[in-house]
Amino acid sequence: MLLIQQLHYSTTPRYNFPPHPEDLQLPPKLIELSLTSLQNLRGEFFQPHDVESTEPMLNQQEEDKTSFRRKAFSIQLVPLRPVCDGTPIIAIDVSSVKIGETENGILCALRAAVVWSQKRRYIYHRFGPFPVHIGEENKKEVIGLLRGHRFPVSTSSDLIDIQVKLCNLVEKWIQLNVCSSSASSIILWDGSLTAGPNGSPPGVISQLLEISRQRANTVLAFSKASKMRFLGHKITEVSLRYPPPWIFEVGEMPFSPSLHLLGNVYVARFRINGYSFRLDIDKMISVDQKIDAVQRLIGNELVFQSYPESLRLAHIYATFTANEIIGIQHYLAQEFNLKLLAPRDLRKTLFGPYGTGLRD
Amino acid sequence: MKLYKKAGNTIQILSFPGEDISKGCYLIIEDGHAKRSMIVQVIDVQFANVPGIMEELLRDSFEDESVCGEQTDPLDITCHILYIQDARLLICKIHGTVENEELVLDNCWLPSRTQSKIRRLSIKSLFDLLGIGRSLPILLGETYELTHLIVDARALDGKLNIITGKKGTGKSHLSKILVLGLVDQMATTIVLDLNGEYARLGFTSDGKENRYCRKIHVLVPALNFRVPLAQTSLSVMQKILIYALNLPGISSREFRRIWKSLHERGSLTLHDLGEAIKGWNCNQNVKDALYSRYYSLVHSNFFTDHPAEGVLLQEIFQKTENGGAIVIDLSDASPTERQIVVEYTLGMLQELLSERSIKPVFLFAEEAHLYLRETYWDDIVTRMRHLGVFTTFITNQPNTVQENIYRQADNVFLFNFINEHDLEIISRAAKVDVETAISIVRDLPPHYCLVLGTAVKDFPIVVKVRELDVQTGGQTRLFFSERQIERASIARSSET
Repeated sequence: MLLIQQLHYSTTPRYNFPPHPEDLQLPPKLIELSLTSLQNLRGEFFQPHDVESTEPMLNQQEEDKTSFRRKAFSIQLVPLRPVCDGTPIIAIDVSSVKIGETENGILCALRAAVVWSQKRRYIYHRFGPFPVHIGEENKKEVIGLLRGHRFPVSTSSDLIDIQVKLCNLVEKWIQLNVCSSSASSIILWDGSLTAGPNGSPPGVISQLLEISRQRANTVLAFSKASKMRFLGHKITEVSLRYPPPWIFEVGEMPFSPSLHLLGNVYVARFRINGYSFRLDIDKMISVDQKIDAVQRLIGNELVFQSYPESLRLAHIYATFTANEIIGIQHYLAQEFNLKLLAPRDLRKTLFGPYGTGLRD
Repeated sequence: MKLYKKAGNTIQILSFPGEDISKGCYLIIEDGHAKRSMIVQVIDVQFANVPGIMEELLRDSFEDESVCGEQTDPLDITCHILYIQDARLLICKIHGTVENEELVLDNCWLPSRTQSKIRRLSIKSLFDLLGIGRSLPILLGETYELTHLIVDARALDGKLNIITGKKGTGKSHLSKILVLGLVDQMATTIVLDLNGEYARLGFTSDGKENRYCRKIHVLVPALNFRVPLAQTSLSVMQKILIYALNLPGISSREFRRIWKSLHERGSLTLHDLGEAIKGWNCNQNVKDALYSRYYSLVHSNFFTDHPAEGVLLQEIFQKTENGGAIVIDLSDASPTERQIVVEYTLGMLQELLSERSIKPVFLFAEEAHLYLRETYWDDIVTRMRHLGVFTTFITNQPNTVQENIYRQADNVFLFNFINEHDLEIISRAAKVDVETAISIVRDLPPHYCLVLGTAVKDFPIVVKVRELDVQTGGQTRLFFSERQIERASIARSSET
C-alpha cells in the first residue's frame, strides 16, 4: 500500500475547490532520503552537469511499439459537445533532472506540481525541489524504498533507471494524494494508464483508479508522444476530415503480455488548429462516463492546441530551468560543502571540435 | 565576486546579492600567486546572463489574477535559486596594477580567474595609494563612501579645466568651491561672471561677511570698473576694435595713426580721440567706420578721461597677492560691452604677464562662447597658458567649447548629462574613457560630479559636491513665489 501511514482519509465534500492544496503532503520519507543521501556526501567533490545541455528526464511510461493492421484497427469517431458545469480539473506532473555526478553516484533533483482549475482560474502547488544522491552506498536503501511501494527494481539497475523510478514513485504519491482528497473532479495525468515492468506497477495504478472511482473522480491520462502506429503512421497523426472536438477509440491492440492496459486508449483532438493526443481513460467506467468526462474537460478547461491548460501549467511548474539547476548546485556547495569540479567532456577532450554527437 | 571575462581594458566580474557594489566603485583583484593586484572601476552594473532566466521570468509572469499558487520547499532551496537569479555582472575598466605596494600602469597581465580574490577598494585606500590631496588641499565634497575628496591645488596649476553638465546640476557651485579653494591657497583668480553669481561670495547665506569678504573684488563694468583711456595700450585698444567691434583692417591702420598722433601730443582722451577722427584726412567710409566704433566705446562707459574714476588692473592684482578673486560682473553688460570688457581684461592680462608684473592667474569663464572670440580658444590652450593664464571653462552646452579644448583639458568635472549628443561631445576629452564617462555621467544625481584627470591622478571619482555657505547670486527669478502657491492652495481648500 502506498504511503498508507502518511495519509489521513477524510470525507471530501463535493465541489470542494480548491481541494485543500495545503493538505497535500509529501511523505517525510522523501525529505529524509534527500537529506541523508546528501549528508553522507559532505565535503566530497562533485562534477556539475552542464546546464546548457541538461534535458529533463522523462517519466518512464510503458508503451509497446504496437503496429496495427487494417483489420485490427477500427475507428469509431465520437463527436464531442463541451459541457460547462464547473467541474474542477486537477493536473499533476513530476519531473527529475540530473544535477551532477559524484565519485560513486549521481545527484538528481525531483519536483512535483499540481494545478487545480475551476472556472478558468488556476491554483498551483509545487513540491520541491528535492535533491537526492543515488550512489552505490545508498542504492540498496533507495531500491528498498521503491520495492516497498511495489515498484519492481532489479539490484543491477543502473542509477539513471533508479532515478526515473524514484520520479515515478513521487508521481504516484502525489496522484494518490490528489485522488483521495478530491471528489467529482477530472484528474489529469501526464502519460498513459499502461502498467508494466519498466513503468508503474499495475497494482499501484489500479489502486489509484479505484480510489478515484470511489470519490467520483475520473482520471484522464494524456500522452504527448505515442509510438503506436497504424499503417506506418503514428496514431496521433491519423488525418480525419471530421471537425474537432472528437475522440476515437483505438481498438483491440496486440500488446506485449507483460503490459497491463488499465485504460481504454483513445486519440483525442479538441481544436481544429490543435494536435491529436493519445488519451487513456479508466477502463472500469462506462463509455458514457468516459465521453461525459472528456466533454466536461473541454467544457470547463482551456484546451489551446488541444492540450489541457492545467496539465500544461503543471508541466511548466514542475520543469527545472537551467537557472534552477545552478541554484541547486549552489545549495549543495553551500549547505553540504560539496566541492565543484569543472565539468569534463571526454569527447571534447579526445576529439576537440569533432567531439560532437551523443554524450557518454 | 568572481572574475569572469576580460576584453581589451574591460573586465567583467560576477557579483552576487549582498555584495554592495555600485557604479563608480573601485575593486581590487588580488592574485596571490602573481603577487600583483589589479585596480578596476565599475562603470556599469548589469544582470548576469544566467541560463534559463527567460523561462523563469516567463513562468513567474503567468501569475496574475487567473493563476496563483504556493510552494512547499522544505529544504529552502528557492533562496539559492533566487540568489543565482539576482547575480550581477559588473563591467569594469582597468586602471592600474599594484606591485610591491606601488601603483604601476602595467595593464598587460591577466589575473587568475580561479585564484584571484576580488574585494572593494575603499576610496580612502585608493587616495593613499595615489597620494591625492596632500600638500595644497581643496575640499570638493564627499564620495559615495562619505570619504572627503580633496584635490591638490597644484593639479589645477598650469592646467586647463572644464566643468560641464546639464542645467541645474551644480556646475557654478563647484566652480565657486574651486575659486575659494584657490583663494585659500593664496592664488589669484579672475572670474568672468556672466550672471552675477559670484558677486556675493564674500558673504554668508544670512548676509554676514565671511572670511573671503576682503579677498573678493567685484568689478562692475561702467560702474566701478572703468579704465583711463590714456592708460590703455594701443595693442589692447586695437584688439577691442578689431575683435569686439569688428573694425576692418584698413580702418584699423588709420586708427593706429590717429592713436599714435594723439599719444605723441599727450592728449589721449575720449574727447580728443573723437575730434581727431572727425578731422582726420582719410576716406569717408573709413572715417564713418572709425566714428561708429568710437561711439560704441563712448556709450560703453567703460573708458574714462579722469584717472580718479579709473581702475588699474595692476592695482587690483596687487590686492590679491595673498590670494583673492577678481569677479568681473558682466550680468548687466550688453553683448558688445561684454566683449569690450573681456578683450580689455584678457589683453591687459597678457601684457602684465609677459612683463612678469603679476603672478600667474586662474581664469574662470562661464559660458565663454558668449563673449570669447574664435581665436582666443587656441590662444588659451597655447600662448596664454604659457604666459600663466590657467583657464576653467564652465558651460551647460558642451558643444560651445571647441574640440581642441576638450582634447587638451587636464581636468574635467562632469555633472549629469542625458542627451546622447552632449555625451558624445564630452567623450572627446583626452582624459575621458568614453565608456566610463557615458555610463557614469548618465546616472549622476544632481550635485554629484565625476572628476577626471590630473586632480584625481586619472582615476575617475564620483563626488557629491559639498555645500558652501555663501550668498548665491544669479539664481533664476521665478514668476510664482512660494507665498503665491501657498495662498492659491488655501483658497482652493476653502472653496472645497
